[in-house]
Amino acid sequence: MAVGGAAFPTGIKWNTVLGCESEQKYIVCNADEGDSGTYSDRMIMEGDPFVLIEGMTIAAIAVGATQGYIYLRSEYPHALVTLNSAIEAANQAGYLGDNVLGSGKAFHLEVRRAAGAYVCGEETSMLESLEGKRGLVRFKPPLPAIEGLFGKPTVVNNVISLASVPVILDKGAAYYANYGMGRSRGTLPIQLAGNIKHGGLVELAFGITLRELLYDFGGGSATGRPIRAVQVGGPLGAFLPESQFDTPLDYEEFTKIWAVLGHGGIVAFDDTVDMAKMARYAFEFCAIESCGKCTPCRIGSTRGAEVIDKIIAGTDTVKNIKLVRDLSDTMLNGSLCALGGMTPYPVLSAMNHFPEDFEMKKAKAAA
Amino acid sequence: MDDIKYSNTQQHDHEHSRTSYDDQLDYGTPASKSDVQVTLTIDDREITVPEGTSIMRASIMAGINVPKLCATDSLEPFGSCRLCVVEIEGRRGYPASCTTPVAEGLKVHTQTSKLADIRRGTMELYISDHPLDCLTCAANGDCELQDMAGAVGLREVRYGYEGENHLKAEKDESNPYFTFDPSKCIVCSRCVRACEETQGTFALTISGRGFESKVAAGINNFLESECVSCGACVQACPTATLMEKTVIEQGTPEHSVTTTCAYCGVGCSFDAEMKGEEVIRMVPNKNGGANHGHSCVKGRFAWGYATHKDRITTPMIRKSISDPWQTVSWDEAINYAASEIQRIQSKYGKDAVGGITSSRCTNEEVYVVQKLVRAVFGSNNVDTCARVCHSPTGYGLKQTIGESAGTQTFDSVMESDVIFVIGANPTDGHPVFASQMKRRLREGAKLIIADPRAIDLVASPHVKADYHLKLQPGTNVALVSALAHVIVSEGLVNEAFVKERCEWDSFVAWRDFVALPENSPEALSLAIGVPAEELRAAARLYATGGNAAIYYGLGVTEHSQGSTMVMGIANLAMATGNIGREGVGVNPLRGQNNVQGSCDMGSMPHEFTGYRHVSDDAARALFEAAWGRPLSAEPGLRIPNMLDYAIEGSFKALYCVGEDIVQSDPNTQHVTHALESMECVIVQDLFLNETAMYAHVFFPGASFLEKSGTFTNAERRISPVRRVMTPKNGKEDWEVTAALSHALGYPMDYKHASDILDEVARLTPTFKGVSFKKLDELGSIQWPCDDEHPAGTPTMHIDEFVRGKGKFFVTKYVPTSEKVTPKYPLILTTGRILSQYNVGAQTRRTQNVAWHKEDLVEIHPHDAEERGIKENDWVGIASRAGETVLRAKISERVQPGVIYTTFHHPESGANVITTDNSDWATNCPEFKVTAVQVTRVSQLSEWQRNYQEFSDTQIAFTGKNPEANTDDRLKQKTEV
Amino acid sequence: MQIEHLVTMANQIGDFFKSFPDQEQAKKDIANHLMRFWARNMREQILAHVNNQNGDGLEAIVRDAIKEHLNNNSIN
Repeated sequence: MAVGGAAFPTGIKWNTVLGCESEQKYIVCNADEGDSGTYSDRMIMEGDPFVLIEGMTIAAIAVGATQGYIYLRSEYPHALVTLNSAIEAANQAGYLGDNVLGSGKAFHLEVRRAAGAYVCGEETSMLESLEGKRGLVRFKPPLPAIEGLFGKPTVVNNVISLASVPVILDKGAAYYANYGMGRSRGTLPIQLAGNIKHGGLVELAFGITLRELLYDFGGGSATGRPIRAVQVGGPLGAFLPESQFDTPLDYEEFTKIWAVLGHGGIVAFDDTVDMAKMARYAFEFCAIESCGKCTPCRIGSTRGAEVIDKIIAGTDTVKNIKLVRDLSDTMLNGSLCALGGMTPYPVLSAMNHFPEDFEMKKAKAAA
Repeated sequence: MDDIKYSNTQQHDHEHSRTSYDDQLDYGTPASKSDVQVTLTIDDREITVPEGTSIMRASIMAGINVPKLCATDSLEPFGSCRLCVVEIEGRRGYPASCTTPVAEGLKVHTQTSKLADIRRGTMELYISDHPLDCLTCAANGDCELQDMAGAVGLREVRYGYEGENHLKAEKDESNPYFTFDPSKCIVCSRCVRACEETQGTFALTISGRGFESKVAAGINNFLESECVSCGACVQACPTATLMEKTVIEQGTPEHSVTTTCAYCGVGCSFDAEMKGEEVIRMVPNKNGGANHGHSCVKGRFAWGYATHKDRITTPMIRKSISDPWQTVSWDEAINYAASEIQRIQSKYGKDAVGGITSSRCTNEEVYVVQKLVRAVFGSNNVDTCARVCHSPTGYGLKQTIGESAGTQTFDSVMESDVIFVIGANPTDGHPVFASQMKRRLREGAKLIIADPRAIDLVASPHVKADYHLKLQPGTNVALVSALAHVIVSEGLVNEAFVKERCEWDSFVAWRDFVALPENSPEALSLAIGVPAEELRAAARLYATGGNAAIYYGLGVTEHSQGSTMVMGIANLAMATGNIGREGVGVNPLRGQNNVQGSCDMGSMPHEFTGYRHVSDDAARALFEAAWGRPLSAEPGLRIPNMLDYAIEGSFKALYCVGEDIVQSDPNTQHVTHALESMECVIVQDLFLNETAMYAHVFFPGASFLEKSGTFTNAERRISPVRRVMTPKNGKEDWEVTAALSHALGYPMDYKHASDILDEVARLTPTFKGVSFKKLDELGSIQWPCDDEHPAGTPTMHIDEFVRGKGKFFVTKYVPTSEKVTPKYPLILTTGRILSQYNVGAQTRRTQNVAWHKEDLVEIHPHDAEERGIKENDWVGIASRAGETVLRAKISERVQPGVIYTTFHHPESGANVITTDNSDWATNCPEFKVTAVQVTRVSQLSEWQRNYQEFSDTQIAFTGKNPEANTDDRLKQKTEV
Repeated sequence: MQIEHLVTMANQIGDFFKSFPDQEQAKKDIANHLMRFWARNMREQILAHVNNQNGDGLEAIVRDAIKEHLNNNSIN
C-alpha cells in the first residue's frame, strides 16, 4: 500500500507503532490539505466522513492507540462541522468511545483546527502545532512512529490513506493492490485544476498518463489555447512541459523525471504563462510559508525571489541564473524538510524546460 | 607535603584537562549516558563512543572539527543551521551530524566537495543578512560566525546587500548587564533553547516565522520580560547579538582564572575573565561540579560591589560611636584593638570577649578566627551566622544520622522520582540548582511543596506541583507528624531498611507515637490548615513514588521547633528507606557560599572543626598540642547569649568578621542596645554595614576576588577561591586576623592560605586528604575526604550512617508561643528574592537594584481590603518587638492571615519586628513566625526615622557623602 | 541574662524531651543538653534559680532534671 503525500508505505508505519511499548499511543490524521489545487480530502471529509472515522478506528485497534486527532486546516469550515457531527453520531452509536462496538477497546476522536500555515502539513511541524507550540519542523530520527505526539508512538497518515483502509479490509488487499502499477498499488484521487475545461476529482488506478488526464478527462485548457505547462503535486511540484505529458502517474516514474506526484493535484497553464514569474512565485510561496528554522529555506527563499527579480529585470542574467542553480542546490540538499527541499523542483524545472522565459529577459532589456 | 610553592602575589593559573576530555572544547551535543559502546569510522578514523552519541560529538572527540553554529554541548541538538551536514555511506542525502546518532559500523565523511558546496551556500545566505563590521564588533576574535565563514571558505556574497535584511533592527539595552542586538542575530535559537533547557524560565521565544523570525523576550524588552538575567543566553550566543556590556565597553579579556562564587550555597564555579587586574566578566565554568556551566544573575553579573564607591579600604578607629572615625594605619588599628581586648579581659574576665566568624569568608579565614578566640581569647565564645539559619540542621542531623550536613550531591536530583520541597524557595535562593531540579521535573518527577506561600516553583513553565501544602506558619512539626502517621498506619514503612540500618527501639518509640490518633491528618488538619486528604495523598506519594528526596530551607529551621522538624524530616527519610543512595536523601539548602564551611571549621561555641564537642578530651588534646595553648572544655556563648550578656553587663567586646548582625538578627532594637552596651566592637567588612555603625574599630576586608582559599557549599563540596587581583585593602582577611593574634602575643605564621588548609587537614579526620594541590587536580572535593575516600564522598551514609545506626526521635508538635492575638492578628513570615542576596550589602551595590529596589510586604487581598490597603500603599507593621513601615503588594501568593516580606534593605527594618523567640535546641530565631498587625499609615515608623538620622550621621563619620550607602528610596520616604 | 529568658529556653528544651516514653531518660537528656550547649554562666544561673527560687516558672520535669543531673563541676 503506498499512499500519502510522501508516499511512505503505511503498513511499515503501523507495524512500527504496534511494536512500541507505551501506555499511550495516538492516531493522527493529517487533514491539512495545503497544496493549491487539491481538494480530495475535503470531498471525503464533507461527503463521507464515516469512512475516515472508520479507517482511523481500525488503525487505532491495529496498533493499540486509544486517542485520535484529525488535524484539519482552518480553511475548511464545512468539513469541521461535518466531521464533528459525524463523530458525535459515531459516539452515540458506540463506534467511538470507551468501548468500541463492545470490543473492550477504547478509541476517542477529536478534530483540532490548524491555524493557516502550509508548513504544518509536514508531519513533524503538524505534531508541534497539535501540541500547542510553534509549527517548527522536528528533525528525524526519531520517527513519529516511535516518538511522535507528546513524545508517544504515533501513526500519522493522511485522509486518503485512512479512508482507503475500510475498503481494503472489506474487499481484501489483493482487490486494492490490483489497481495500480509497479510499487504504486491501488488508486489515487487526482484533482484537475487551473486552466482546464473540466476541472474536478478523478479517482483512478495508478498508471494513467498525464495526457489522458488533461485531454480525455480534463478536456484541454479552459481558454482553448495549448497547455504549455502543468504543475503536478502542489506548489512545490515540478513543472512538466508537453514533452513529458506521456508520463504515467506513478511515484517511481515521476521521480525518474525529477517530478513529484504528491497529493495528486494537477494544475494546468496555457501558453500565456510566464515561467520566470512562476519560478519566482515558488520562492515567494516558500518564503511566506517557511517555518524559519533552517537557514537554506529561511533566508534562501527570500533571496531566491530577489535573484529571479534581477533575472526578470535583465540584470547579470547569466551570473544570476547560475546563482539560482547554486541556491537551489543548497536548498535541495541542505534544508531540514521538504518545504525548502522541494522549492527547487518548480524553480529548476521551469529553468530547465522553459529556458527561453529566463534568458530572453536579457535580450528584452538590452533592446 | 606539597612540593608546589604558593605565594600571596602569585596568580594561580587554571590547569587544563586532567583527563582526556578537554574542558575547553565544545563537543556540540550533550554526552550520552549509555553503557553500550558503538564503533564507527569517521574520515578514516575509527572511534568508539557510547550509544546515543551524535555523529558530531563523536567526530569532535576523534579530533575532527565539524563546522557548526546552532549546536553547543550544553543544549540538545536543534538541526537548524545545516552547516554540520555529513555524508554517510549507504544513506541518501546529507544528514546533519548533530541530530544523527552513531550506529555500529557507519562510515562517515565530514568533508567532501558536495558538503563544501552546501556549507558555503548556507554561509553565503547567512552573511547576506549580517552586518559587515567585524573589525569594530564586540565579538571580533570571539565569534563563531566569523570562524565558520572562514572554515567554509566563503569568499563572496553574490546576493549583494540591497535585498531584505534585519540590519536596522534596534538594540535592546534594557538589561543593566547585557545588550541584545538583533541586527547580528542568526536565529540559531541557542538563546531560546538555553533559556528553556538550561535555565528553565522559558522567557525567550522566536516570534514571527520564516524570514521574519526574531528572538523575542516577552512583549517589550528583556528587562520587562520574565527574563531572570541568568546569562545563559549570553553565554550560548555564538555572535555579538547577546553580549556583556563590559565586553562591549572594554574589549575581550586576555586571561582567566577559575574561582568560586561568593553568593549562595550552590557555589558555582566561575572563570574570572580579566584584563590585567580588572575583571571584565565572570563566565560559569563548565566543569563546576555544582553548576555544570550555568549561573544566576548574582554570580554572573553582580560582582561590581568589590569596586563600589562605598568600599572602605583603610582601617579606622574611634573611642565612641558618637565620634567620627579616624583613618589610621594597619598597625595602629591592630594594636588599638589588641589593647582594648586585653584591657577588657583583664577588667571583666576572659569570657567578656567573643568573636563571630563569617559565613562568607573562606574556610581558612573562619578557621583562624575561631583559633584566635579559642587559643588567644581563651574561651569558646565563637559563633557564626549559621546560628540564625541552619543551626537546627547541624543539631537535628547530627542527632539522627550522625553528621551535620546534607547527604547528597545536587546531581542526585536527576535520579529522584518524588521531590519534596519544604520551607525553601530554590528558584530564588539557589537558582542554579533550581534549574536542575526543574529539568528533572520536566522529565516527569513529581513535586510536593510545603510552604505557606505560593513560591514560583508551585506553578512555573512546564512545572507544576502535584501537591502544594499551603500550611500555616509554625505548624511544620504537625505536618511531619501527620505525614508520618499516614506512613506508619497505612503500612508504608520500609521495615527491612529500618531493621538493618536503624536503632530499632528508637523506631518503635517513634512509630507508636506517630500512630496515635492525635497525630492523624484528620486531627491536625485544622491546625495545619491543609485538608486531611491532601496530607494523606502527599504522604503516600513520598513513601511509594520511587526515589523520594527532601529539600528544605529556612522555612524549616527558623522556627521554635526548627531542630525538631529537622529530626522529623530525617525520621521520614529513614522510615521509608529514602537515604543512602542517589536520588533520595535529606538535603538542607545551605544559604550562603560558605556557611557549611563555617560550621565545618568549628565556628560553633560547642564544637571544634569537624563537629567534635569541646568536651571531647581526645579532640581537645589534639588542638592543645597543635596550638600550644590550653583550651576550654565548656561550651561558649551563642550570638543571642552574647547579646543578652552584653545588655546585662558582662559581655564587653566583640570581633565580628563579615557579618551584619544588626540587619540580619531578630529584634533589631535588642541587638543595637547590646552593641551599645559593649566597650569594644571590632567589625571587619567591605563596607560600613549596619553593625559597623556601632563599632569602635573597623578593619577593611577583602572580597572573594582578592584572596585565595576555599568555600564549602551545600553539597559539602570544597571549591577553590583564587585571588585574581591585589586586595584593595592590602590584606587577605586571614592576614588581618593573624595580625591581631600576633598583637595579642600569639603569632600565626602562615605564609599562604594553603598553609591554613593543611593545618585543618592535619587536625580534622574528615578533611584529611584535602589540600590546595588536590583541589587543583580534582577541581573540587566533597568531604569526607580521607584515606577511605581519597577523592571525596558524593553520597553519604551508603552502607551505614555516620553514627552507625540511624536514630529516630519522637517529634511532638508544640505550637509556638508566638500566637496571634486580637492585637496582633496576622502572621509575618520572611523569604528571599533572586536578585538580592541576604542583607543586600553586596547586591544593593550593583545594578541588581533594577529588579528589587525595596522590600515590599505581600498581603492577601482579603486582609488588605479589611484594612483599606491598596497596592503600593505605605503600611505599618507592628509586633511586640517594634514597628516598621513598608510598601504593600497585594498578592494571592500568601493566604489570608499571613503576610510576607524580605530583608534585603536595612531601612526596611524587617528585623525590628521579629522577636527573640527561637529554636529550643540551638536558639535559631523564629524569623518565620511573628504575630503582627498591619495598618495603613502616612509616615515612617519612629524606628525608621531615627534610623535614617543615625545612619546618615554614621556615614558622615567615615568622611563619605551620606548619599552613599542609602538608596533613593530613603530620600523619597521623607514625604510618604 | 534575665532569668525569665533562661527559664523560657529551659522549658522549651523540656517540651521536646518530655514527650519521650522514658521519663527518667528524658530528665537525663535535658540535663545533658544544658551541659553540652549552654555556657557555664547560663548553667550556673539556672542552677542557682532552682536551688534558691525552687525553679520558679520551670516545668516540673525540667526542674527535676536540673536538680538531679545538672553537674557543674565537669562536663562529660
